[in-house]
Amino acid sequence: MNANKLPWWRPVSVVAVVGALLAASACGSGEGGGAAGPESGDGLPPVVRVVSTNPVTGPAAQNGIAANEGHHLAIKEINESGFLGDTTIEMEEVDTAGDSQTAASELTKAITDDSVSAVFGAVQSESAVAQAPIAQNSKMPIIFTQAGSDGVVIGEYTFRLTPTMNVYYPILSKFMKEQGWKTMGILYTAATPSLEMIGEETLPAMAEELGIEVVSSVATQGSTQDFTAPISQLLKDDPDGVAVLLIGAANPTAMTQLRQAGYEGAVLGSAAAASGVLDPAGEDGAGMVWPVGYHPSMEYEASQKFTEAFREEYGEDPMFNSADSYDAAWFFARALKRANSANREDIQKALDEIAAEPWTGALGENLTFTDRILDVPGVVVEKTADGEKLLYYASDVEE
Amino acid sequence: MSGWYGANLILVQNTFIGLVLALSIQFPMRMGVFSFTGAGSYGLGAYLAAILVIDHRFPALAAIAAAMAVSLVVSVLLGLLVQQLDGLYLGMATIAFCLIVSVAATAGGDLTGGPTGRFGAISDFTSGHIYVIAVAALLLVALTEFGRVGRRIEAVREDPELAAAVGINVRAYRLAAFAASGLLGGCAGAMNLLARTTITPVDIGFSLVILALTMIIVGGIRSWKGALIGAVVFTWLPELLAVVGKWEHVVYGALVAAAAIWMPGGLYGVWSDAKYRYRVGRRKAPSGADRSGPRTGAPELRTVGEGVAEP
Amino acid sequence: MLQDLLGAVTLGSIYLMFALGMSLAWGSIGILNFAHGSIFMFAAFVGYLVLAQSPLSLIALVALGVTVGALLSVLVHVVAFEQITRWTKDHRTAEMQILIGGIGIAGIPLALAQYETRSNPFGFTQSSFQPTVHVVGDLRVSDLQVLIVVAAAVLTTAIALWLRHSRQGLALRSIGVDAEVASMMGVNRRRFAIVTMAVAGGLAGLAAVLYTFYVGALTPESGETLIIKAFACIILGGVGSMAGVAVGAFALAFAETLVLTNFGGLWVDAISFSLIFAVLLLRPAGLFGKKAVRRT
Repeated sequence: MNANKLPWWRPVSVVAVVGALLAASACGSGEGGGAAGPESGDGLPPVVRVVSTNPVTGPAAQNGIAANEGHHLAIKEINESGFLGDTTIEMEEVDTAGDSQTAASELTKAITDDSVSAVFGAVQSESAVAQAPIAQNSKMPIIFTQAGSDGVVIGEYTFRLTPTMNVYYPILSKFMKEQGWKTMGILYTAATPSLEMIGEETLPAMAEELGIEVVSSVATQGSTQDFTAPISQLLKDDPDGVAVLLIGAANPTAMTQLRQAGYEGAVLGSAAAASGVLDPAGEDGAGMVWPVGYHPSMEYEASQKFTEAFREEYGEDPMFNSADSYDAAWFFARALKRANSANREDIQKALDEIAAEPWTGALGENLTFTDRILDVPGVVVEKTADGEKLLYYASDVEE
Repeated sequence: MSGWYGANLILVQNTFIGLVLALSIQFPMRMGVFSFTGAGSYGLGAYLAAILVIDHRFPALAAIAAAMAVSLVVSVLLGLLVQQLDGLYLGMATIAFCLIVSVAATAGGDLTGGPTGRFGAISDFTSGHIYVIAVAALLLVALTEFGRVGRRIEAVREDPELAAAVGINVRAYRLAAFAASGLLGGCAGAMNLLARTTITPVDIGFSLVILALTMIIVGGIRSWKGALIGAVVFTWLPELLAVVGKWEHVVYGALVAAAAIWMPGGLYGVWSDAKYRYRVGRRKAPSGADRSGPRTGAPELRTVGEGVAEP
Repeated sequence: MLQDLLGAVTLGSIYLMFALGMSLAWGSIGILNFAHGSIFMFAAFVGYLVLAQSPLSLIALVALGVTVGALLSVLVHVVAFEQITRWTKDHRTAEMQILIGGIGIAGIPLALAQYETRSNPFGFTQSSFQPTVHVVGDLRVSDLQVLIVVAAAVLTTAIALWLRHSRQGLALRSIGVDAEVASMMGVNRRRFAIVTMAVAGGLAGLAAVLYTFYVGALTPESGETLIIKAFACIILGGVGSMAGVAVGAFALAFAETLVLTNFGGLWVDAISFSLIFAVLLLRPAGLFGKKAVRRT
């Protein structure tokens, strides 16, 4: 073969391949209009299938694993109690590995699988934002938890059981008032939209209402690891109080370096510091306070029931992700019962119906949905030397 | 068949888009230009397409064309700036360019959507578009492996001084490498945005550079076939490895490392070496020179007398 | 102001200790070890695991970190880099294989640590050593900061002096200039490569322990961010020059602190990348480097 001349079969094979692909794309199940899911028939089939797409590996692994645990616990209860009669729910867990493209592609696979009735969406905002349009266009009911960003609940097939953080963050005002601060500084990361919004809009608005002056506002990037310089900026004008809105290891680092810089007071934080994230800071971590949708010490009957069941199943206290996802699975199960069908369209209608009624679950009692997002009032939690302490409920805050 | 296709549609699309991305980095490498401009152009192309489609309602193909045009200009400018650099230094400079693009994407305020990126880019884009564009790009790049152009590219890579002495405009060829990587990268980025409807800073950036580089090193840098192999392998590998469960990343890293250590020509190099050896084994060697030996992926010591393709 | 200066000097010392190992390997034996960040993190991670069993002191932790770092580095070299350089005749291709090989291998300690911690942060809270802060006038200094700065200064000087004045240092430098001729002159390239990688790994381990105490918490992904900063330092200062790395590290740390205090934290990364870019354009060899540029 003369290496310089194009052999005849090359262009032919190329044309053949392209032709095959065009044919496949034309007659294949196509761009998401296709699979209808289970049939709408009489009653529920013996097995209903749901897929959970969550990060089990990657930076959000802890949250993804906790979410799956919550789903799993609820489904176990539903099956064992015969809530759906003879029907059982079967959940398949798929790892998104923290990657949005994987999340999108796993969702597409679930959509083309005719036996899948619904999907539990990814907890990470970036992944959720990639999944939402696909689920909506393909008419697949998808229930998200966390994923607090715009572009997630975009149509009648998308639901979310946690509001965006800026909705319940203001319950911290009571704490801020009790501290008696006159000035404060805000240190926040611009890498997460929810924390960026809190740092730039929500918290300053709360401060203004309480008559607190924000004397320093320092934004950092996701890649910042040493906070010495940002903290020195934060404390430059000697504020009475401080807010630290960061993710992951930045929380214990900032607390450690804050104490080293001489600040001993309370610190406003976020749920990103919950459940062991602050442990590497040891004693320096104590004193951080944040609002969160769920805490094991919540006293509502349904919450306590969940907390005990979780402790018994897994031997440790549940994270808020687990409470969110537990309620999500029950939300789905109630819709199944109401619809008496495993068909996706029927389930969507049933979800809407249930969302129109008061909701009681691990997240609270008689909660309401607004535009398919659950309004969770939340509680305020403080990190202490040996764990977390529940300070007060949203309902304790006088308007 | 169509069931499997529908379930894995996204992966099939990603394979083609990944191919164009891999070509955008492989093509300059074939010319000896160690440049990652393709990855930066991918980011530029994706964001530009997002802005055009979401904010200005451009149709898909127009957005791709615009993305390619802008990436072309930026890449050529970059190529002019870094003319003096070579080897790892050139690589570093172009990696820095990619990182600057991702930082600009994060700090771009409302235009680029900050850390959330842009979402909601719905358009008239179909899988058919992706396949046709990708195959067209592949054909164009593959064509440059033949004839005079192919030989000149080899010359510019192997011995630039000699090539210059023979009258080849080395500078122009190297700039062409930047231009091509800009076009290909911008195209891949725009297609990705249109197919996924969202783009975030996390998608473009260092991990993209690493993915593209891994694709062509493990696939084979000497030919478009390597880029194709690499794109297929690395789009589908995570899927296959999902069976391994939690150890997926360890196995992935080990496989990449193993390929880098033991397959210097990449998978394509292994295959073409085997093919060569099979052919030579079958033929009884007459008097030495085997002129029709194919170019292999593995670099070879050239000894005088044993013919390999001359410029 | 003075406080910020101290912070920048400490940060620069951290960058220096991390980048020193990479620069040493790159400049002498031509190996750009992308697994350096992963080795760094894993050394700290092993410390964290051992601390769960018994409360080690600072010295013990440092010794552990240095050992783990050195061993891992040598292991990576023998298993991967040595094989690559042996089997690949073309230096350009070998460089890229080493790059990718390093990246692939870096994923392994990363995945192990991620599995164990679920990507949660880990630290040295159980150690018997905890940094204490002393107030000197307006300035707050911790004993850890002093230790970091002194360690970086001592190590850099020691290595620079050793490279310049000892026979082995001369041998190592000769490998960097022309490996073939060096081996013809009797320099055992393989042994030197292993020693260099061990030292580089040991430096990473030391830096890791001190860094973990300084920032209080590390995640499995922490090493990756530092690699890019290390590039910036090495490129700025010039490959192969110890003085260059030192200048590069402090210049980067000071630039980052300056940007943060005056323009806000969002532009810090842009600084390192723009710095790399600018240096490569204006003076590709770096401030003190010796490599020539293309002429065709």
